[in-house]
Amino acid sequence: AGVLAAHKITASSPDTDLPTVSGLRKMGVNFTVSNKDTVKSSDVLFLAVKPPIIPFILDEVGPDIEPRHIVVSCAAGVTISSLEKKLSTFCPTPKVIRCMTNTPVIVREGATVYATGTHADVEDGKLLEQLMASVGFCTEVEEDLIDAVTGLSGSGPAYAFTALDALADGGVKMGLPRRLAVRLGAQALLGAAKMLLESEQHPGQLKDNVCSPGGATIHALHFLESGGFRSLLINAVEASCIRTRELQHLADQEQISPAAIKKTLLDKVKLESPSLSVSSASRVSLFANKSPSSKKN
Amino acid sequence: RGRDLWRTGRARAAMEAAELRVGFVGAGRMAGGLARGLLRAGKVPASSILASAPSDKNLDAWRESGCRTTHCNLEVLQDCTLVFLATKPHVLPGVLQEIRPAVGPHHIVVSLAAGITLQTLQRLLPAGTNVLRLMPNLPCVVQAGAMVFARGSSAGDGEATLLKNLLSSCGLCEEVPESYIDIHTGLSGSGVAYVYLFAEALADGAVKMGMPGGLARRIAAQTLLGAAKMMVETGEHPAKLREDVCTPGGTTIHALHQLEKGALRATVMNAVEAATNRARDVAED
Repeated sequence: AGVLAAHKITASSPDTDLPTVSGLRKMGVNFTVSNKDTVKSSDVLFLAVKPPIIPFILDEVGPDIEPRHIVVSCAAGVTISSLEKKLSTFCPTPKVIRCMTNTPVIVREGATVYATGTHADVEDGKLLEQLMASVGFCTEVEEDLIDAVTGLSGSGPAYAFTALDALADGGVKMGLPRRLAVRLGAQALLGAAKMLLESEQHPGQLKDNVCSPGGATIHALHFLESGGFRSLLINAVEASCIRTRELQHLADQEQISPAAIKKTLLDKVKLESPSLSVSSASRVSLFANKSPSSKKN
Repeated sequence: RGRDLWRTGRARAAMEAAELRVGFVGAGRMAGGLARGLLRAGKVPASSILASAPSDKNLDAWRESGCRTTHCNLEVLQDCTLVFLATKPHVLPGVLQEIRPAVGPHHIVVSLAAGITLQTLQRLLPAGTNVLRLMPNLPCVVQAGAMVFARGSSAGDGEATLLKNLLSSCGLCEEVPESYIDIHTGLSGSGVAYVYLFAEALADGAVKMGMPGGLARRIAAQTLLGAAKMMVETGEHPAKLREDVCTPGGTTIHALHQLEKGALRATVMNAVEAATNRARDVAED
């Protein structure tokens, strides 16, 4: 987006073999294996690790956090109060901002919300907003809405990918080549979303505008309604939001087995491995948590 | 007035409703509803209304309202200018044969018979007769009806305007292509029953939660009335009006989710489709 020069960005990861690492390097981002170095050379610090790792990262870099630092956590389900609690052992008034974004930041069409912590100023929030607005939509919200945002726009791209896959299947069934079907389906959703964002009309009205009487579209919509399309989407957003709250609750209770975390730190980057098993089912789920960020640690 | 005057559309439209003699061939529920609506709106005095039916069973209520009654269909044609054909559909062809000799160019013949097409009506009546087809619904009785009508080939602007002006006193009255009439049946003719079903269910829900039935039904009716009134008066899209009621995380959105889970929308669409198809099937018989 041209908001920052690459050399002003530092990223750190213990594992240098990740494809994302070489990608970042190619962009001209400063790369280091030392989290401490990242902290020292930054003013705005994005914590982009998996949620269960957050406490350990904070322990590691805590001593290097200075009053100038704005600590931004993108970790799903990790509350401002838990971040502040951890950091306050090192720094009396840590500036914390919690944010929830989504993967389309990659193409600068992200959806980001943020909530400011106790010691973050209005300007700190605005700075983050400026940064994130360069990669899509960004607005401030009350922290208690962030789980709902996760359910809607955090997970939302996955719902869209599923829909697009199915739409393409429909196209293929009716005779279109796959690539063309995917391209057209994606463009249809893109165009519809753009129309809605640029229009003052209600989506219901926009839908009406496409449905000529007795035509193809209304016949198709009837099928969607019969299948409970709308309620499925409502269910999905609800499920994602509720699950986020569950995970947060589990994290708050610090139900992470130390053995599991030690293994994680030792393995460093085997976090997404489905073979990683932990003693109880509820803890396994922590490791399967979806993190919207592409940067890893 | 000479016959030439009747032919000009302007004379028709300008004709005062009070001068108009309105006849009903067939005096059943639908005819009664329309007549009652016209009377309540004060558009036509009772003495200008003549209704015919084979037995007295249906005619008592008409006489009580001050309307004139007869057992002779021909008399309605001889006495009245605007004649509503409100018999049961299967009876109508026979009735048309009967009244045909008395039908003239001054008449405006409006058929309420479901499934009897303009083509059929025109075939069974003298050539050039002003024929229109009307599909009302029951709330015409309380002047909140929804009516559509279609013109036959000889009916002109004057006849259409006259009918629309008169019936607007009973509710919404729109001219449509004939092909919309069966859809109107599915949407609004039968649709009234869907609303009653919904109202009953609303009330049952309230009873389950502890409210007495009578009160629940009165509130359910008022809720539907109020919501419909807002739709009509604001002209806003129902989706927008629905949104306006849904506070985030509130009671309404929770309830709506239940309705969506039950695929209420699709079910209602199915109902409209079924009724429309049935109307079309019946028409072909």
